[in-house]
Amino acid sequence: MTFPKPSVGMLPNDRLDYSAITTRKPLKLPGGARMVVWTVTNVEEWDPTQTMPRTVLTPPAGGSPMPDIPNWCWHEYGNRVGFWRLLQVYDEFKIPGVMNINGVAVDAFPDIVKACAERNWEFIGHGYTQRNMQKVENERADIRKCIEVLERATGKKPRGWLGPGLTETWETPDILAEEGYDYVADWVLDDQPVWMKTRGKPILNIPYTQECNDVAMMLIQHHKASEFYERAMDQFEQIYKDAKGSARVMAISVHPYIMGAPHRAKYFRKIYEKIRKKKDVLFWTGAQIADWFAKVGPKP
Amino acid sequence: MSTPMIPRERAEFSAIVDRPPLKLPGKARIVFWTIVNYEVWDIAKPMARQILPAPTGVPLMPDVVHWGFHEYGMRVGCWRFFELFKRLGIKPTLAANARICEDYPRVAEQARDDGWEFMGHAYEQGPIHKEPDQAAMINRTMDIMEKFCGKRPVGWLGPGLTQTLETPELLVEAGVKYIGDWVYDDEPTVIKTAKGPLVTLPYTIELNDIPMMIIQHHESDYLLKRTIDQFDRLYAESESRAKFVALAIHPYISGQPHRIKYLEAIYDYVNKHDGVLHWNGEQILDWYTQTTKAAR
Repeated sequence: MTFPKPSVGMLPNDRLDYSAITTRKPLKLPGGARMVVWTVTNVEEWDPTQTMPRTVLTPPAGGSPMPDIPNWCWHEYGNRVGFWRLLQVYDEFKIPGVMNINGVAVDAFPDIVKACAERNWEFIGHGYTQRNMQKVENERADIRKCIEVLERATGKKPRGWLGPGLTETWETPDILAEEGYDYVADWVLDDQPVWMKTRGKPILNIPYTQECNDVAMMLIQHHKASEFYERAMDQFEQIYKDAKGSARVMAISVHPYIMGAPHRAKYFRKIYEKIRKKKDVLFWTGAQIADWFAKVGPKP
Repeated sequence: MSTPMIPRERAEFSAIVDRPPLKLPGKARIVFWTIVNYEVWDIAKPMARQILPAPTGVPLMPDVVHWGFHEYGMRVGCWRFFELFKRLGIKPTLAANARICEDYPRVAEQARDDGWEFMGHAYEQGPIHKEPDQAAMINRTMDIMEKFCGKRPVGWLGPGLTQTLETPELLVEAGVKYIGDWVYDDEPTVIKTAKGPLVTLPYTIELNDIPMMIIQHHESDYLLKRTIDQFDRLYAESESRAKFVALAIHPYISGQPHRIKYLEAIYDYVNKHDGVLHWNGEQILDWYTQTTKAAR
C-alpha cells in the first residue's frame, strides 16, 4: 500500500525498509555477551505557566486549572528528592547513566547535572522544553539550543536524542542528522539498532521502550508499583533467551518523580539486584551501543 | 497590584541531600500524619468525583448517584474513622469544608470533641480557580471554623490542592501558617509570599485514596501495600534525618466496608515500629518552627 507523502521530511518506510529480525546477519557483542541493557533517566522542568505534561490528581469536578500547583509540585518532588534515590541504585550497581534532559532543566537543576557529570554519565538531548516537538515554534532552533546548553554544562556535544514524549515531525530525523546527532531513540520498533535514511547522512535508531517505561506503566495504565519490577524481569528473561544467536538491546526508562517516590524506589532497585549478577549482560550507555553497532553491524 | 509570584520565585530549587538533617525530639525518627477530608457536595453543582458515568455518558444535573456516593461517607463511613482513631488515640488533621459545620453539625461536633485539628479546606468542595472572590471565601472559611472551634485554624489545604498564583498571599492575610498544597518535598519548607513567610508541610497525592482508588482504580488492598512500601522506605531513610509519612483519606472511599480493614491494618503495621509519632499538622508546624528558630 502507498500513502501520500509529506511535503517536508519522509514517511517511516522511506527511512527504513521492513526487516524481520530472524533474517538478519547475527550481531556479536564483545566477550561473548548476549545482550545490552541501557537505562535512561528523564529529567524535565515543567513550566508552571503552562498546562502540566502529566497529572496525578484532577481538580474537583474536572477541568484543567491554571496554575496547577499540586501537579507541578508532584513533579518537582522528583528533582528535589526522588532523583537522589535513583542515583543510589546506579552507584550501588555501577550502572552507567544516561541523562535525558530538557535544555531548560540543565540550568534549573545544577545539582543533578553536577552529580551526573562527576559520574561521567552520557547526556542526551530531550527537547529544550517538555513540549510536543510538533508544537515547538522552530524545531531546528530547539534542537540546536539543546546542543549548546549541554556542551556548555558538560564540555561535550550530545550524540543522542529522545524527543519529549517521543514526539517527532516528519522532518525530525533529517534535522537531527544535520545538526550532528549520531543516534535517536524515538522509534520503538525493534530489539536491535537500525539505520535510518535522512536527506543527508543516515542516523542510527537505538531500541528504546514504551513498555518498561514508568510513565506508560504507572501514570497511564495505573499498574501497582511492583508491576514495574515484574514486567522488567519478564522483558529481560525473554530478550535474554531471544539473544542466544544474535545480540539484542533492552531499555529501561524512568523518571525521578515516578520511580523515585519512596513506595516505588525498591522495585526499581530490585531489577538491578537481579540482572546485574548476569555475567553475559552488558550495561552500556546509548553512545556505547552506537559505537559498537557502527563497528560490527551492517553498514547503512 | 504587582504580578503574582510563580512557584520558582517563592522557593528556590533545593536538593534534599544538600540540606542539614532535621531532628525530631527524643528517639522519634518519623512522623505519621493522618489527614481526614470531610466535604460538602452541593447537589445544585456538578459532583466533585464520579465512579459511575451515566448511560451514554451525558453529565447529569442533578447527579443524585454521586451525591449519594459522597453522602454515604458522612452518614456511615466517617463513623468507622471516628471509631478507629478513638481506639488508637490518634487525633488526625481534619481538612474540612467549613460548610460541614452548617450542613453536618453532628459530624463536625464529633471531630471537634475528639480533639481533631481543623484545617481550612474552602467553604465547599470545588476548584479555587472558579471562586469569584477568593479572599472572601478564605476568610469566611477561617471565620466559620474559628467560631465553631473557639480557635482559628493554622493550616490550609485547597480543594483538590488547587491554588491560583495569588492564593498564598491571601492565605497568610487570613492567618494561615501552613499549607498542604505543595507536595514537592519530604520535609517542611518555607515559601515566600508578599505578606510574609508560609510553611509547606509534606502532604501527599501518592498515599491518597482519591488518586489511588477513584482515578487510578487500584484494588482496595493496594492502599495498605503502597503505604507499607512508602513507610518502609522513609523509615529506613529516617535513620539519618526526620521523615514524614502523610496519608490522606475520605470517608466515602476508605470508609467503605470493603476498604476499611486495609486502613486499619496500616496502623497495625506502622505502630509495630519504634520512634513513630502520630502528629497532626499543627504539631508538625510547632516543632518545625521551634527547630528552625533554634537553628537560626
